Amino acid sequence: MWDLRTPSGMFFALLGLILVMTGLLHPTARAPLLDFNVNIYAGAAMFLFGGCLLWLSKRRS
Amino acid sequence: MQLHTVDYLILVLYFAFVIGIGWLLKRRVATSSDFLTSSRSVPLWITSLAFLAANLGAQEMVGMCASGAKYGIMTSHFYWVGAIPAMIFVGIFMMPFYYGSRARSVPEYLKLRFDEKTRAFNAITFATMTVFSSGISMYALGLLFQLMLGWSFTASVLLSALIVLVYTLLGGLTSAIYNEVLQFFLIVLGFAPLAILSVLKAGGWEGMAGRIPAVMTHSWSYMKAPADNPMGVEVFGLVAGLGFVLSFGYWCTDFLVVQRAMAADSMAAARLTPVIATFPKMLLPFIVIVPGIAALALHDMNIGYALPAKNGGLDYDQALTTLMAQFYPTGMLGVGLTALMASFMSGMAGNVTAFNTVWTYDIYQSYFHPQANDRHYLLVARLTTVFGIALSIGTAYLARLYNNIMDLLQLVFGFVNAPLFATFLLGMFWRRATGHGAFSGLLAGTGAAALTHGLTTAEGKGGWLISVHTFTSTMAQNFWIAIFAWSTCFLLTILVSLATKRKADSDLRNLVFGLTDLPPEEHGGIRLRPATVAIAAGAVCLALNFLFW
Repeated sequence: MWDLRTPSGMFFALLGLILVMTGLLHPTARAPLLDFNVNIYAGAAMFLFGGCLLWLSKRRS
Repeated sequence: MQLHTVDYLILVLYFAFVIGIGWLLKRRVATSSDFLTSSRSVPLWITSLAFLAANLGAQEMVGMCASGAKYGIMTSHFYWVGAIPAMIFVGIFMMPFYYGSRARSVPEYLKLRFDEKTRAFNAITFATMTVFSSGISMYALGLLFQLMLGWSFTASVLLSALIVLVYTLLGGLTSAIYNEVLQFFLIVLGFAPLAILSVLKAGGWEGMAGRIPAVMTHSWSYMKAPADNPMGVEVFGLVAGLGFVLSFGYWCTDFLVVQRAMAADSMAAARLTPVIATFPKMLLPFIVIVPGIAALALHDMNIGYALPAKNGGLDYDQALTTLMAQFYPTGMLGVGLTALMASFMSGMAGNVTAFNTVWTYDIYQSYFHPQANDRHYLLVARLTTVFGIALSIGTAYLARLYNNIMDLLQLVFGFVNAPLFATFLLGMFWRRATGHGAFSGLLAGTGAAALTHGLTTAEGKGGWLISVHTFTSTMAQNFWIAIFAWSTCFLLTILVSLATKRKADSDLRNLVFGLTDLPPEEHGGIRLRPATVAIAAGAVCLALNFLFW
């Protein structure tokens, strides 16, 4: 039986990557009430979370 | 609110992964049991998160944020008074009978414990309710996306229903459960930044507390009289109505959530499923309720954020979506919307899979075609998935056309659900309780609920017979309806049971306390003891109540 952490990890790593790229490519894109680039920070957190899930599933196998 | 290519890309990525997970699980489905009950093979951490996610529909996300803005941190009572004790109770005390009886569903447990008519009553009302509630949440999602993004109602409803249909049809209950875990992670990671950003902008908890009335930041201090707080409830009504009757009625008897624990791979895992789920559950108010409170504080700060107006007051239902529009740029906006879609899908798949099992085993196999081979039931289960989703879509349109009928139906469902916990409590812990007692108790409890509604009014609702009492709020009225329904069911079940013939002890083995061999605490390779985890969960929950007293 495959480990759910593998596809979940891949999903969040990819999602994080997309957000970080968006943050880097559009550094001036801001939400009306924010003065910092939330895409980069949230993206990095999601990428890390995805990486952790992948590491856990790899360790198990 | 305007979406860009990257937002759509995130939505498509999510669709691809949920369908992909269904596809990977397709090979695991060989029998009706694989499709409908996961053949009791799902690991503990997955059943625990699915137990939570199945209940975490889009209406809960939007509704709890709205309640945060309307009632403040008192909304946390739904978690720290309502859900947590009930989840601990179902895991520690009730799961040994649900899981140990080998019943495939909650109605089937009623058949084994009581009789056919009690099962039929529960199965038919439950199946009807799940279809309607899935349709109503689909309607809410269609309306939300129409309002927020200008998407067509039909496109939103059909697209989301189609995705749920595909992955549920491919992998059955296992696919729904596995996807619920992915959806749970996405809901948390998608909404947690919103909570952090909105609270920071509003000056942190202290800053918010300084700007809004004190009643909004205290959960217990203003509970002496109904007039003291915006919920219009007092301590007894809250603790007995919400904390005991309604919450225990939902978390301990609703097959939608209990099914997740019953899919666990061992008795110990089944018992631990709801208990472990209490930890993320008790932290959810910080993600779903606190942003609503922040929205209210931001509204008063005049910094460019305002809750929309409605009927002379504020439209609290738009708290979540307006916050997203103000705090999420393109990219995170796509994540937030996808999380909203994920919460809707997890709730809908929960309804669909519970409906499938009850329809196939408790209605079709019991009353229409009892002796068919397993391949036949697998086919029926698959067809039921399509049929159930089609019915839900029909209900969504019905809700769009006849909003009043839906309100009435939800009211009636509330009457049916209110007494349920009394039946299960007596069934599991009193071997003298009989089928006639349970059935008459359920009918009388439902009647008592309707009667209480007919005799009392709140905010212009109820009192259709004659009004003998007026409640401060409909919420207080609902709590008291539940209290009367539960008490009537409890008393009548005892009286009728004493007057009717009980089942022999040999027929009640593994169904009732005292006649069930409780499993050793360490089982299935799990070292955690359910009771120890439950005590830890209870302590944290108590601490949270004191922290926001």
